[in-house]
Amino acid sequence: MALARVDRLTFAYPESPPALLEVSLEVERGEVVLLLGASGSGKSTLVRALAGLVPWFHGGRFEGRVEVAGRDTRSTRPTELAGTVATVFQDPEDQVILGRVDSEVAFALENVGALPETILPRVHRALAAVGIAGFSDRSVTEISGGELQRVCLASALALEPELLLLDEPTSQLDPAGAEAFFELALGGEAGVVISEQRPANALRYADRVLFLEQGRVLLDARRDDAVEWLAEHRPAWVEQQPGFNQIAVVGEVACSVENVSFAYERPVLENVSLELRRGEVVALTGPNGSGKTTLAKLVAGLLEPQTGRVVRAGTAAMLLQDPGRYLVRERADEEVALGSDLPRARKMLAAVGLAGSEARHPRDLSTGERERLALATVLVADPDVLVLDEPTRGVDPERRQELAALLRAHAAERATLVVTNDRAFAHAVADREVAIAPEREPVLA
Amino acid sequence: MRPTAAAILLSGLAVTALVATRLWAVGVLAALLLAVCLRAGRRAKPYLWGTLWSAGFVFILWPLFQSRGYHVLWSGPTIPVLGPLDVTTEELRGAALNALRLAAVGLAFAAYALLLDHDRLLAAATARHSVLAAALATRLVPTFERDARGLVEALRGRGIAPEGLRGHAALLSPLVAGSLERGFSLAEAMEARGFGRSGRTRVPAAPWQPRDQAAVVVAVAVVVVGVLWL
Repeated sequence: MALARVDRLTFAYPESPPALLEVSLEVERGEVVLLLGASGSGKSTLVRALAGLVPWFHGGRFEGRVEVAGRDTRSTRPTELAGTVATVFQDPEDQVILGRVDSEVAFALENVGALPETILPRVHRALAAVGIAGFSDRSVTEISGGELQRVCLASALALEPELLLLDEPTSQLDPAGAEAFFELALGGEAGVVISEQRPANALRYADRVLFLEQGRVLLDARRDDAVEWLAEHRPAWVEQQPGFNQIAVVGEVACSVENVSFAYERPVLENVSLELRRGEVVALTGPNGSGKTTLAKLVAGLLEPQTGRVVRAGTAAMLLQDPGRYLVRERADEEVALGSDLPRARKMLAAVGLAGSEARHPRDLSTGERERLALATVLVADPDVLVLDEPTRGVDPERRQELAALLRAHAAERATLVVTNDRAFAHAVADREVAIAPEREPVLA
Repeated sequence: MRPTAAAILLSGLAVTALVATRLWAVGVLAALLLAVCLRAGRRAKPYLWGTLWSAGFVFILWPLFQSRGYHVLWSGPTIPVLGPLDVTTEELRGAALNALRLAAVGLAFAAYALLLDHDRLLAAATARHSVLAAALATRLVPTFERDARGLVEALRGRGIAPEGLRGHAALLSPLVAGSLERGFSLAEAMEARGFGRSGRTRVPAAPWQPRDQAAVVVAVAVVVVGVLWL
């Protein structure tokens, strides 16, 4: 008998068109199923349906049947499924409830009624399994995003679930960190369903691949067959790494970073130099915690160097990580017009593929649309130096290609620095790569 | 020390500061609590500023709204409704006492927020839902502050610098919207992790140590001494 069975599931969120249409799926014990598909294709909704959160938590119209370990999710609340099912969501900051690492990992165990004397040993075992055994009494606010994602995984693994659900769990991790995460998460006996936007790592571990498009299952195949299908029908999803672009012409120096050092409570950058020229796109890479974002902020003028100097010829603009969080106006065009005027803002919205969305509330846009809106808010200022910090987080491969094309189209007008751990995107967009090597042990490598 | 014992001790000190009438005693309590808060290092800064401003306001405004004492230090004009704006030695003493009381209570709360392990306090609580709500609310303050910093930084990245009270007030609405989104995600994560299910268990609590018991005894003793002699 299958561990989980989805039978002709059609689901629509309240006042929305269907997010899933006639989806059927079976997950066997020990099987790793990879969900692929563009933003809004229904991957996260399917994960939530397997956890019982759809329809219990979100409401909406639910047709069909989902069974997990023999229990129908229409009659079993997500809280009752917890333990049998464990879920790791995309953003660790949005799922951490308590303040200390050991309490956080123990939280679900307490809720599901684990024997009191077994809770702490299981917590310590789970922390050791994800490589952070010494973090028990650390505060969750004092650890990095990568470490926090490990805590979330430990919370799930401590439950010893039969079905482990992972919704884009590696979007904040560098490639080595993502690989380590999959090794830790997929080494057990649980059935695993993973939703991913960067499939390269997950494809190596998957037994089966589902490709969703507009809520329908377009492909359900064994991994090798799926890779062939993707290469033929959705080539963007089979990551290739061509060489960097060869630019013919670069202009004058737009930004020069000279022997810069910077420390928060401990040193992050020491004697770093970097030169950005008009016309080139530079990819800044390095493991989590190596100081990429700090260097990017120094280039953009959001931080001042403690030693050394940064010289810019002209204006600079920077798009921070997760820019969708930082939208302030109630219409998309007004959001972009904050840095310019309305006619120019509307032109820029069209340039990023958001024509027709001028009057929409920025928070009503999908994640991918928000990312593009945020990009428009910095491009509209027409900066001489453009800095983008992890612009492909949560963005599907086809949108990544569009973003790369958009940045290439405007590359000649300015110097562009892209902070990214997305190797495929770095190769697609950049003329050269600058890698930061950390002095200390990288967080998740 | 167990967080429950520490919370009782902090409450005892705060209550004593409220009931004591001797200026030096309240001053000593405030100084003691300040020393405790300083152990949190730089994290204590916003709490200390908040306490300083509140206490400062009370110290300045108190004499203006009081009319007592005979040792006039300064005679101001007579304001309708408020009466004469005189400042007397007695009023200044009252202002200092109440400012120090407010400072002591504020510092006790700061020590609770900064130094106590809220998770262990939660584990010891019987009203778990209420205490969890309180713990999440306590964590909301630094999260809100971090979101506000991120928002200002994001705007600066776009070449826009929010200026003045009006500029910063305009950020309140997106901050609240962001907090609601975060709250929704958190609620979903809690449901997925079995929160609210019946048959809940707890990590076994460590036994009370002599110093925990001593802290409770000291808390009670300080309140009694405060009521009777201070």
